[in-house]
Amino acid sequence: MKHIVRHQPNARLWPNPWRMALIALCALILCSCRSPSKLGATAGLSSSAGSTVGQASRGTRAAPPDGRGDTLPREAYTGVPAGAGVPMAQPDMEQGVPLPYQPQGPWAPSGLSRPWPADEYIRDGGDVGVPADVSGRGELGGLEMEDTVAHYDTLDGRTLVEPSNKVYLYAPRFGAVRQVVGLVAHEERQHIGGVYLPEHLNSPTTLQLVADAEQNVQAAGEAAARPAVALRTRAGDGVMSSVIHPRAFQDAFKPYENLSVVRMGVFEGAEMSFLARASEAAIAWSHIQAVQVILDHTGAMAEVKYDKALSLYTVSSPPGDPKLRLVKVASTPFAQPGDEVFFTLRFDNIGNQPLGNVTIIDSLNTRLEYVADSAQCSVEAKFSTQPNEGDSMAVRCELARPLEPGQGGILRFRCRVR
Amino acid sequence: MVRSIRFLATQAHCRRFFVGKTAVLVLWWLGAAVALQAQQPNAHYLHHGVMPPGAIGGRQLQRGGPLPGFYQPVEIKAPQGVLISLAVDNQFDQAMPAPRKAGMLIGAVYRLRATNIRLAEGLEVFPTIEIIDRIYAPAGQKLRFAIPVELTEEDLKLAIQGKFVTRVIYLEDPRRALPAPDNSPGQNWFEAAPGQDPLAVADGLGRPVAILRMGARLPDQGLDASFFFGSPPFVGFPATPKVNLLPPPPAMPRGERQGMVGSPTISENQVERRP
Repeated sequence: MKHIVRHQPNARLWPNPWRMALIALCALILCSCRSPSKLGATAGLSSSAGSTVGQASRGTRAAPPDGRGDTLPREAYTGVPAGAGVPMAQPDMEQGVPLPYQPQGPWAPSGLSRPWPADEYIRDGGDVGVPADVSGRGELGGLEMEDTVAHYDTLDGRTLVEPSNKVYLYAPRFGAVRQVVGLVAHEERQHIGGVYLPEHLNSPTTLQLVADAEQNVQAAGEAAARPAVALRTRAGDGVMSSVIHPRAFQDAFKPYENLSVVRMGVFEGAEMSFLARASEAAIAWSHIQAVQVILDHTGAMAEVKYDKALSLYTVSSPPGDPKLRLVKVASTPFAQPGDEVFFTLRFDNIGNQPLGNVTIIDSLNTRLEYVADSAQCSVEAKFSTQPNEGDSMAVRCELARPLEPGQGGILRFRCRVR
Repeated sequence: MVRSIRFLATQAHCRRFFVGKTAVLVLWWLGAAVALQAQQPNAHYLHHGVMPPGAIGGRQLQRGGPLPGFYQPVEIKAPQGVLISLAVDNQFDQAMPAPRKAGMLIGAVYRLRATNIRLAEGLEVFPTIEIIDRIYAPAGQKLRFAIPVELTEEDLKLAIQGKFVTRVIYLEDPRRALPAPDNSPGQNWFEAAPGQDPLAVADGLGRPVAILRMGARLPDQGLDASFFFGSPPFVGFPATPKVNLLPPPPAMPRGERQGMVGSPTISENQVERRP
């Protein structure tokens, strides 16, 4: 039987309303245009209208989309802290629009100490590493590069060391490693090392296979491995533990002791839940069954006695708590090689006794070069410098007079960023 | 009986001799192993300087972090008079005198053209720049702290002579930075010894951020997309943007008392005292 399918040109698969709806939907999809992401204008250094943007019309990688796989915040790409409200770059940045300074600092991943990354910042101040200390001979030890400390003498003869806060300066410096490779002319002649001359056969040779083999010597004996005739075994003592009981053990194992770790001392993982339940039960029983101490059939008695102090000793502390506060600030949070940066140290006696021989020492970083004769102090002081381990300088300021309680001063010097 | 005692004594002597030799052999082997281990580098580098352009940056992007889509400002420096062109749509744009600043994507490879080289006029060099890491400058200071890529005259002439020059630009570790003065003509650079990987050397000195390669020749069959590495997009910036700096601190008046000869002091009246 054949089915004849007739083509009907006027037959309509969908009715007119469905067709119109489909056409309208397609027109809506085609006419919908996707506006460029606004994030592209703030991604890093945005493609401004006036700047010479190479293939800016592509707009493919101008900015990371919000739906990126990683969960980094938007400020990770832009550098602008959240809520700062200041764009990274103005549209006419090339015309010299001033960029405001953001005191919040750039973005940094959470969980890491600031500033981040540390290799872009020069640190000065604080006491990192081995703590600075003044020995009995008056020598200051533990002062490392980038440390800033002050040591002073107290009325009771002690010499204390007080570090300042840390100051970070954004001053990255770049270097380069070069490698030059090229073809080297090879003028050595290569001689022939050997000649391979295969030798052909001059005449063919045929070999006759052996058809029969005759054994002349008869076998005298048969060598064979002798099987074991006896088996020596050692009997284990697995049954002994269940047969021989301890002398004080009154009964067989209780049902709750039916654990491998209790019976044989072998811990099995499948018994953990039972063991935990048993442990809890043991804890519960301890409340009910209190331990009683009996010595020679006589119960122990607790004796409580109060003794009064016969003599009273008092410790008299020296009058006051010597304390020096050292605060350090820099004139700018970022600098380039060649720039000059001012460092200011504010010292205050926040204790209640005078401090003598106050000496402030600032060991500068390798990248900081002390500008000669730039140190100045608000109180009478003596300045000196000495090279430190980083081929830089350690600025030393010794106050000429003791620092009275509530008194302070300012120390300032200038450095050039290398 | 005597024979058996002598036999046992001989056997014990042989056993001690064997144990002693074994101990000496083990000690020698341990010493050799320690010496060989000391000769091995203490790091296994995933990347090498001889890798093709774009391979290292591509792997850096796979490591994650705020790298994709970020236009890292780069300052291309060259001797005076050298003109720099960047690739746009598989052709070079208008040549501009160096220095030239541009924001470049991390992981992409940018083809440059350097012309008007002194004593080599008419010759062209086509370096490539690959940014493999970024820096995190404070907000508003990104243009000021651009990564410097220097095309020195010596490198340009070496490239013209047919040599292949690789420069790995790295960010110095401030704790181990050289106390070089700021009046040096260019950035500090080192020559990698023969057989050394420049990327490994740069990694030992700091954090590699860019790779400059020079020495590519102009292909005879013409410029194609592979020569331009797809002409990745970049953002052009003026070479010397005007950035407002913080005002310098006010000058301190010279006080009456002198702390040291030649050292000005600050008047105590300007120092705030604690109540």
